[in-house]
Amino acid sequence: MSVLKTENITMKFGGLTAVKDFNLELNQNEIVALIGPNGAGKTTAFNMITGVYRPTTGSIIYNGQRIAGLKPDAITRLGLARTFQNIRLFKELSVLDNVFIANHLHLNSNIFEATFRLPRYRREKREKLQRSEFLIEKLGLKEFMNEKSSSLPYGLQRRLEIARALATDPKILLLDEPAAGMNPKETDDLTAFIKEIRDEFDLTIFMIEHHMHLVMGISDRIYVLDHGVTIAEGNPYEIQNDPRVIEAYLGVSEDAED
Amino acid sequence: MKRRNIILTSISILLLLVFIFVADSSFDAYKVRILNLCAIYTVLGLSMNLINGFTGLFSLGHAGFMAVGAYTTALLTMSAATKQQNFFLAPILPPLDRLNAPFLVALLVGGLLSAFVALLIGAPVLRLKGDYLAIATLGFSEIIRIVFTNTQRITNGALGLKAIPSTTNLWWSYGAAAFTVVIMALLISSSYGKAFKAIREDEIAAESMGINLFKHKVLSFVIGAFFAGVGGGLLGSLMGTIDPQMFKFAFTFNILLIIVLGGMGSITGTVIAAFIISSAGELLRFLDQSINLGFVVIPGISGLRMVVFSALLMVVVLFFRNGLMGTNEFSWDKVIGLLQRRPLIKRRLGQ
Repeated sequence: MSVLKTENITMKFGGLTAVKDFNLELNQNEIVALIGPNGAGKTTAFNMITGVYRPTTGSIIYNGQRIAGLKPDAITRLGLARTFQNIRLFKELSVLDNVFIANHLHLNSNIFEATFRLPRYRREKREKLQRSEFLIEKLGLKEFMNEKSSSLPYGLQRRLEIARALATDPKILLLDEPAAGMNPKETDDLTAFIKEIRDEFDLTIFMIEHHMHLVMGISDRIYVLDHGVTIAEGNPYEIQNDPRVIEAYLGVSEDAED
Repeated sequence: MKRRNIILTSISILLLLVFIFVADSSFDAYKVRILNLCAIYTVLGLSMNLINGFTGLFSLGHAGFMAVGAYTTALLTMSAATKQQNFFLAPILPPLDRLNAPFLVALLVGGLLSAFVALLIGAPVLRLKGDYLAIATLGFSEIIRIVFTNTQRITNGALGLKAIPSTTNLWWSYGAAAFTVVIMALLISSSYGKAFKAIREDEIAAESMGINLFKHKVLSFVIGAFFAGVGGGLLGSLMGTIDPQMFKFAFTFNILLIIVLGGMGSITGTVIAAFIISSAGELLRFLDQSINLGFVVIPGISGLRMVVFSALLMVVVLFFRNGLMGTNEFSWDKVIGLLQRRPLIKRRLGQ
C-alpha cells in the first residue's frame, strides 16, 4: 500500500534545476534509500517532501492528501518526521528537553493551562514525559538524560536526533545520512537499529545514505539520483549491476566510451 | 521540591516582606524611589527577555509597548479635573475625560492594550528575522512615539501628562515584580516555554519538530508586550509625569542593557542586572565628589561615575560573554552546593 507518492516534483533555483521529475513511491513499512553522488539533489528532494521547499512543479500525495506547499510543521503534524544531515539539535537544552519539545505539537492544552499547571496540562505533561523517557531509554541515552545535548559524542547526537524525530509520532521517518561520521561497527549497529525501530514503531523509512554497505544491507528499494535526474530505481541487486549507476559513481573509462 | 527548599523559599519571602515593610515606613524618598525603579526595571527586563532572550527574537520595540501601557494607565487613573488642567491646548477627546478605573484595573488594561498593539504589528513583522526584525520593531516604537506626539486630544501631544496620581509604591512595584518572576518561571518551564527556547536554538529544527513558528513567536511577543505595558504603567505612576520624549530608543537600549548584562535567557540574571543597572548610577555617585584618601585628595570630577559605570559594563561584556548568569537560573541546591564546597587546599590535604 502506497503511503507517500511524489508525481514529477521538480525544484528549480533560478536557472538551475536541482531535481527534475522525481517520482517516488513509498509503501507501508518499506525501507527505501536515496543515493547519488554529491550534489545530485538528494537533500533537495528531502526538503521538498518535508516542506522546507515548495516544489516548482509536481505534487506530493501523503495518504491521499496533497501536501506540497504545506509548512514543515504542518507536514510533521501529519506524520512525516526527519533528521538532518548536519545535526540540528537544540544545543543548549538537555537531552530530555530535546525529546520533550518534539512532543509539543500533540499538546492540547493552551498556553494559559500550561503556565498555570491546570489539570489537563499536568496530565498531558506526565504522559509526554513518560514517552520521552521511554524513547530516550529505547535509544540507549538514559544515562545522558540531563546532559546538555551538545555535550554528547557525535554518534549519540545522531541517535538523539532519531529519538526526537520519533517523539513527534511519525508514520514515515526520513533520515538524512544517519550513518555520516560513524565507524563500521556503529554503522552495523545502526543497520539493526533502523530495522528494529521500523518494526517497533510501525514506520516507513526513507533515507539518504552514502555508506553502500548499509544501503545494500537494509533497503527494500533504492532510488539513484544524478544531477537531479533519477537514473535508476530497483532492489539492491538491480542497482548494484546497473551500468548507469556504476557510470555515475565511478565514471567510464575512455575505452568503454568508444 | 524538597522540604528544605520550601522552608528556605518561605524564609526568603518573609524576609523580603519585612524588608519592604521597613523600607516603606522608614527609608527616605530618594532610597524608596531607587528601590521602586529596581523592581520596575525587573518587570521591564523580564518582559524583554522573554522576547529576545528566551525566544531569540531580536526586537527593539520595547519603548513603544511601555508608552502604550504608561499612557493608558495614566489616562485611566487621572481625575477629570486633572485631565482638564493638563489638556489646556486642546480639550481631551470625550469618552476619555470621564473614563476612570482603579490602579490595578488601569495597569491590566494598559498591559492588554499593549499586548493588542503587539498582536497587530507582530502579524506582519514577525515574518522577518534577525536584523530586519530589529529594524522593523525599532521603526514601530518610533512610530508610536510620533503618533503620541501628534494626537493632541488623546495624549496631550508633546506637552505630556503631568500630575499623574502616584499610586506606585514599594508594595505595588515589588508585587508586580514578584508576579512577573513567578509567571515567567512557570511559562518558561512549561511546554510552551520549551518550544520558545527550541525556536531560539534552531528555527529550522523547531519547525521540523512540528512547532508552528509564527504562532509561538506571536505568543511570546504578545506576552512580553503585556508585561512591558504593565511596567510602563507602574513607571508612569511613579514618575508622576510622562511625555513622548521619555520613550525614545535610549529607553529600549537601557532594558536591552539589563538583559545582556544579566544573561539572555536567564530570569535570575535579569533580576540581578535590573538591580545593578538601576542602582549603580546612584551608588557610584561618590565618584563625582572629591575623595580624600588620607595622603592625597582627588578633586571631584562630575560625570566620573558614568565613565566608571561604562568601564564596568565593558569588563562584564569582555569577561562574561553570556552575561552574568548565561542561561543559568538560581536554585537552592546550587547555592548550598557552592557553600559546602571546601577550599581546594583542604580537599587536597584531606585526601
